[in-house]
Amino acid sequence: MRGIAHVARRELSLIAGHPALIWLTLILPLLLLAVLAAVFLRGIPTDLPFAVVDLDRTETSRSLSRMLEATPELTTHPALSLPAASDDIRAGRARGAVLIAQGFERDLLDRRRPEIVLFYDNQHMTAGAIAARGARGAINSFIAGAQMGMLRAQGTDATAVAALVQPIPMQIHALFNPAFSYIDFLLSAVVPAVVQIMAAAAVTYALALDFARPATGGAPPMLALSRQAGGVLPAMLGKLIPYTLIFLAVIGLADLVLFGVLEVPLRGSVALLLIGAVLFVVAAALIGGLAYLLMRDFGLAISGVAIMLAPAFGYMGIGFPREAMPALARWWSDLLPGTWYLQLRIDQTLRATPRDLSLPPLLALLAITAGLAVLVLVRLALMQRRALDGGAP
Amino acid sequence: MIRAFRAEMAGIFRDRQVLMIVVLALAIYGLIYPAPYRPELLRVVPVVAVDLDGGESAREVLRRIDASESVTLAARLTDMAAADRAVQSRDAYGIVLIPQGFERDLLSGRPSPIAVYGDASYFLVYQKVLSGMAIPVRQMGATIAAGRLMAGQQLDAETATALASPAQLVEVPLFNPSGGYATYVLPAAFVLILHQTMAMGLALVAVRRRPSPAPVARQLAGRGLAWLVIYAALLPLFLVALPRAYGLPWLGDLRLVAALGLPFVLATGLMAQLIAALLKRTEVIQPVLLAMGLPLFFLSGFSWPIEAIPPALQAIAAAIPATPMIDAYTQLASMGATGPELATAIRHLWILAALFGLGAALAARSARPSQG
Repeated sequence: MRGIAHVARRELSLIAGHPALIWLTLILPLLLLAVLAAVFLRGIPTDLPFAVVDLDRTETSRSLSRMLEATPELTTHPALSLPAASDDIRAGRARGAVLIAQGFERDLLDRRRPEIVLFYDNQHMTAGAIAARGARGAINSFIAGAQMGMLRAQGTDATAVAALVQPIPMQIHALFNPAFSYIDFLLSAVVPAVVQIMAAAAVTYALALDFARPATGGAPPMLALSRQAGGVLPAMLGKLIPYTLIFLAVIGLADLVLFGVLEVPLRGSVALLLIGAVLFVVAAALIGGLAYLLMRDFGLAISGVAIMLAPAFGYMGIGFPREAMPALARWWSDLLPGTWYLQLRIDQTLRATPRDLSLPPLLALLAITAGLAVLVLVRLALMQRRALDGGAP
Repeated sequence: MIRAFRAEMAGIFRDRQVLMIVVLALAIYGLIYPAPYRPELLRVVPVVAVDLDGGESAREVLRRIDASESVTLAARLTDMAAADRAVQSRDAYGIVLIPQGFERDLLSGRPSPIAVYGDASYFLVYQKVLSGMAIPVRQMGATIAAGRLMAGQQLDAETATALASPAQLVEVPLFNPSGGYATYVLPAAFVLILHQTMAMGLALVAVRRRPSPAPVARQLAGRGLAWLVIYAALLPLFLVALPRAYGLPWLGDLRLVAALGLPFVLATGLMAQLIAALLKRTEVIQPVLLAMGLPLFFLSGFSWPIEAIPPALQAIAAAIPATPMIDAYTQLASMGATGPELATAIRHLWILAALFGLGAALAARSARPSQG
């Protein structure tokens, strides 16, 4: 125990005297989280540029244009023709367009059911879908208004009109996200994404400092350190514990801002979140440790960490559910600690998931952490035996 | 200049780590990044039904919803508690609740509402749940309204249909008609991977390079030539062949790929020289660039609309070659943009190349040992 404490204290003074380590462990993660939070802070985009091609130019078509203009999601501008609107969309000057064909008013009055065509940019899917949602709402209310007018002109009484316009009204409830804002989800997701890769990278770097042969020659400090600590295992624990605590503090600080200042809802168990965070940070640190111990070279180890963890965000199932991924991708995402910690975070904050349903992600985190710890121990034992046999350390 | 060219080539090809980043990581990322999105889209999203009415019309509503192309009825449950749990455990992403008395109200000509619950944790899934339920229900409503008009007001079928739904909304999603997530996200990811591996690899070469007494401009020109030679092979592989191998839409003109690629490669390479001069150490460069990946992805205004990003951050993003390149490349590859439409982005990339070149030259001059 004293050995562990000794190495941990030494590690902390190493960090304090090593600007690069302070940057990697504290400043950079917090800075990146702040930048990411700032990206999302303005909230759901409103006033997206939108083109209206009105070839009818009647009172009716103008009233539809006005309804589109009044939609908070959109800021409309007229386009002279469909090709002009399509150029606008391609150049990013519009996220969508509505085409009102010539003869629209006449066809409507003649009961020929004219079309209103809504185009939207589905390549930039988020912006396109928001613009389309706004336009769709405006067009549907316009159609309902026109329908009411026609039914009343037909002599239908007011109560019957309502039942004819919408015989089966739909009451729509957006579960877990009533404000329909993805900001809370993204804010919640960037924390594990950033911490996972930064914790692994920092530990890789920290091990490289002690395992690498110093430039002045002589034995790597890790050998002396193991002797002082009374073995490789306490030396390792002493090195890992400070990083675990630092990154837990990073998560804690980020979450204080998230739940305290930005008012992301916290509808779940803080205890479960805390257990998950500890397991997650230990697992991420162990990934960095294992990478270094396997490669024994900082460059190769950090590249290994990069290959494994840089794409991890796409595998975490934010925006795209894991349940829809192909088996191989899902299997890979199962192995990443960030996947489970993110699920736990979302479930225990935004989705208010019953606690028993949060047991599987916790157990998965536990299994990953235990598996990584076993691998690190086996690797350390092999290295120690080789060192005792007189081979290279 | 020839010497600088040779030295840069050797710096890239003789360094195992740099080669691993510039070539191997590129290849592996090309496989790993797209893997989660291979099925392209959630074709049918599972939803559950709670039918408290049980009448013929309720069954008809559920039949129509089940038949819609974006959702499928995974289960019929007896109460909302069970349905809630199915959504909580992600076995289903929506609930349709048909209340008691649905049939009675419908037959008596009153509005007879149903309730729809969609899991709004996932943007795409929620859209599918809503359209999968709203479209069949609206169609059924129009049929019912037309039937009532024909029976009640003795209208002919055509007039009744026109009164039940007087105009039609036709939706045309452009450039990515099936709404595939891969089509949406991969063009940006490919550019960003290329940008990140290139910046990392070339910055490592720069840090490990021994200082040379040759004029800075000639050195930079020689290196630039080396990057162009290497990326003349890698960039088309990554930005033209790979998207096609994944079956992404391709409307691009190869000459425009070159017109964008040339300043992009130079700007990114010169930025790498500047990063190397600022960070100085191998062990710092890699983790820092690694950590930048995710923020750059969101800052590029691709997945999170640029309209919603604060102007100060937009300005920072504009200083990074990946930002204009992602925009322009997507417009080119997926949306078929033409030369004049890309002119701004091409100019933007050349300006970045010039600025980073200037910065790299100044940094190299100040770092050079003073020899009097």
